[in-house]
Amino acid sequence: MSWQATSLAADDNVATLLAAAASGGRVVVMTPGGELEIIAREAIALCHKIALVDIAQGAAVVKYGDCIGEATAPIRCGAWVHTHNLRSRRARLAEGQAP
Amino acid sequence: MSATTFDGFRRPDGAVGVRNHVLILSVTGLTGPSARRIGRAVPVARVVTTPYGSGLVGEDAIVQDRALIGFGRHPNVAATLVVGASPPKVASIVAAIRASGKPAEPLILDECGHDAITLTERGIRLAARLSHEASRLRRERVDLRELFVGMECGRSDPSSGLVANPLVGRVVDAIVAHGGRAVFGETIEWLGAEHLLAGRGADPTVAQAIRDAVARRERAAVAAGMDLLGNNPGPTNVAAGLSTIEEKSLGGIAKGGRSPIRGVLDIAQSPSGPGLYVMDAPAYAPESVTGLVAAGAQVVLFTTGVGNSFVSALAPTIKISGNPEASARLREQLDFDASPVFERRESLESAASRLLALVLEVASGTATWGEILDEGEEVISRLAPAL
Repeated sequence: MSWQATSLAADDNVATLLAAAASGGRVVVMTPGGELEIIAREAIALCHKIALVDIAQGAAVVKYGDCIGEATAPIRCGAWVHTHNLRSRRARLAEGQAP
Repeated sequence: MSATTFDGFRRPDGAVGVRNHVLILSVTGLTGPSARRIGRAVPVARVVTTPYGSGLVGEDAIVQDRALIGFGRHPNVAATLVVGASPPKVASIVAAIRASGKPAEPLILDECGHDAITLTERGIRLAARLSHEASRLRRERVDLRELFVGMECGRSDPSSGLVANPLVGRVVDAIVAHGGRAVFGETIEWLGAEHLLAGRGADPTVAQAIRDAVARRERAAVAAGMDLLGNNPGPTNVAAGLSTIEEKSLGGIAKGGRSPIRGVLDIAQSPSGPGLYVMDAPAYAPESVTGLVAAGAQVVLFTTGVGNSFVSALAPTIKISGNPEASARLREQLDFDASPVFERRESLESAASRLLALVLEVASGTATWGEILDEGEEVISRLAPAL
């Protein structure tokens, strides 16, 4: 089929790639609400995440319909989302810092 | 998701079995070998044994007995031969099983002159009679709401959180929405997402119980010198695309779907009503699955990445993987091939319809690979040193 990435809940702001994306490539995302097309801003590997919308620094990154952490930098739609721009809120709680 | 019925065995207490096992249940370590001999002589019966006996104390003894009784009362069991060494223990388990209205027969080593050969001979006759009686029972058409499924994952890989677990979650949501029951355990796997899981609690008591359960496991890990939050997800997880502990844990608990959580069960504790439950229990698959089945789960939905051969002895265990390589390699282990979703040849919705259809088919009698290959076992968790 035609899609390349999948998001599992309606309010997810990232999708996971089921096929690696090339920088500048079109990525068709299968979302619960139907197909969505975005342009990858960089090369993204299989099973890694791509932003479906612009995400502000400090905002929640949402996958499975839940917050998986917060953006540590502004994330543009189509960007790779991983440890360089996303950090756990739970792990920070464990370190005794404010969430 | 169209079909909403299956053919099961209605028990005297109203529960519905998806199998009609006669259970040879050894409730002490002393009688395990005799139970297995009886089972070889009466191969239509199922044998479940525990290696332990007297000397268990406190919560450990409570869990052991609750699980043994849970096996005998399990809807997939038509009748039980309770094999043990001493009269009081056997009598109490027989009485608890009979309270469900199902036959249970005692077989006691002390009353056979401590002779395992006499015990075996009497046991063969009793197991044969129970099997003959059970064979007269017939399946009847029942509604999907009679189904209670347990969910488990073992030997996960990146495909698990993306495909197999969300897929099972969709099927669980459908079963729960229809009035059925579902439960998953593996408390330590909630770590990192426990605040999110707690947010799905049906009331504040449930939410607090979820947080407390994880905190207890985390303290046990710390006491054992383990740091579960530091460097988690680990390097292999990070290379595979997992960024945070929340993401990793959510991928695991995705197999529970997104229904409200009605309660936190102890090991082998049955839910009090329909809906989704979690069980505060060890994560190792044999212990985890046994706890879910002892609580009454009739079918287990077991997701895996690279493969995992463990299945329940009493509940058909449906193995599901989204990993294309594993699906090709484990043709006689994996019951459901979810790899078309991983390979973008099938939508999750389509696969969920296929999986629910398989669940109903298995509930109606179709054998799983684990049943055909007789991989089944039950392993009751031990919680403390014995005296």
